[in-house]
Amino acid sequence: MADKQNYWNLVLETLPLEKLQKLQLNKFLRIFQWAYNNSKFHRSLYEKAGITPDDIQSFEDIRHVPKVEKSMMRDIQKKDPFPYGDALCVPLEEVTEYRQTSGTTGQPVYQPDTWQDWEWWAECWAYLLWAQGYRPADRVFIPFGYNVFVAFWAGHYGAEKIGCEVVPGGVLDTKSRILKIQELRATALMGTPTYILGMADTARNQMGIDPAELTINKITCAGEPGAGIPSTKKRIETAWNAKVYDHAGATEIGAWSYECSHQPGGMHVNEAFFLVEIEDIDTGEIITGPGKRGKMIITALDRVAQPCIRFDSKDIIEWAPESCSCGRTFRIIKGGVVGRADDITKVKGVLLAPSAIEEVVRSINGLGDEYEVIVEKAGDAEKITLKVELMPGSKDRRQSIESKLTDQLRLKTNLRYDIIFNDYGTLPRYEVKAKRFKDMRKK
Amino acid sequence: MMTTENELKKIDDKIKLLRNTAEELKSLAENIPAITRNTTRLLASVKMMELNISDCIDFDI
Repeated sequence: MADKQNYWNLVLETLPLEKLQKLQLNKFLRIFQWAYNNSKFHRSLYEKAGITPDDIQSFEDIRHVPKVEKSMMRDIQKKDPFPYGDALCVPLEEVTEYRQTSGTTGQPVYQPDTWQDWEWWAECWAYLLWAQGYRPADRVFIPFGYNVFVAFWAGHYGAEKIGCEVVPGGVLDTKSRILKIQELRATALMGTPTYILGMADTARNQMGIDPAELTINKITCAGEPGAGIPSTKKRIETAWNAKVYDHAGATEIGAWSYECSHQPGGMHVNEAFFLVEIEDIDTGEIITGPGKRGKMIITALDRVAQPCIRFDSKDIIEWAPESCSCGRTFRIIKGGVVGRADDITKVKGVLLAPSAIEEVVRSINGLGDEYEVIVEKAGDAEKITLKVELMPGSKDRRQSIESKLTDQLRLKTNLRYDIIFNDYGTLPRYEVKAKRFKDMRKK
Repeated sequence: MMTTENELKKIDDKIKLLRNTAEELKSLAENIPAITRNTTRLLASVKMMELNISDCIDFDI
């Protein structure tokens, strides 16, 4: 059993499940009441469903509370008060923070936060960073273009909150960031898996610096599923000679989950601050036990300016059967976020999750980190093309690599691919959310 | 592993005292933004302590 110093708040992080659920139920009712009383949108939504705060006594009652989808937020934000619309629960003058979603799936959604909400964001990050072993002696380098996207902003404030020294990587280019890490002997790093791998590649191949010989000993990855994909995690850990930890959060939700330093093969849900429900995609039933994947419906239990109540995140997750050796009672989602409901698609009648392809590509020595998947119509049939890069010095092994890649893809995805080998460095590189899966059938 | 209920209650009492003091300060200095705005930020920190400890007491967890 780990000692007390391993927890940011041992009181909440070790609450027995029954007490944790009592806390969640009380907090759900509090945020529901708050939204009902202070937001025209929420009151109207709940009145149409015939639900008032008095109707919520149990988790079963919560399941009848209408869900909110991102598309609804886009409609709400066409209304007053500008620019947030009538889901806003506080006077505009209490809003101190503006952020917006990345717009990957359409028109960005604006996110207002009060200073209290912003403290809350940092608090959520404090939980995750402490669990990943960040301590006041750490010097954390954040290679992120501080802008309108929330991304690692809250990580910056969370690291400050726990007492770390934070170095904002800001508008520096990748080479300058690497030199700054070297100059300052930074000990920790935050970024998307794609970018952290790209940094290692730049250091090695363009600067003659081995990132494994720098002083980084832990890396927090977010924004993409990569750090939860074993082969990608291993590549990053090997490249940097550092522990890599997964984290998932979202602009409209908050920093809701994290892998702890015990690396249990998934992420803890911060169940003191969030209520996560997993909904069966086919039946709409709530999945309460381990072993079955579904769509995450999430409530941020303490966010006040623009509440997040039963938000349909579209993230695909499943509960893990095991508890964690770290002693936290917060449940674990197995393998982290394994995909998105709108990414998992049927090809040739088989369900395909892009993360399964990444797991295969990055498990094969001799292949570069980048890849691209294109699904398209070929007459009446469907065709999947997978573009990969051979690492420099691997050309003579091309046949054996292709054979292994084909076999593993067949084994892991039950599908056949046309494989194209590109020259190293010719596939697109991404700094934020990578777009490696292209479904041309929809065009 | 758990901190005792008695210890938690003592912590909660101090958090509540902090909230009352900050709110009183805010109303005493309502014409001095340097105090009211700093108090608003202080109260946000107090809220985080309430989420961490006081909720357990208030909801009888």
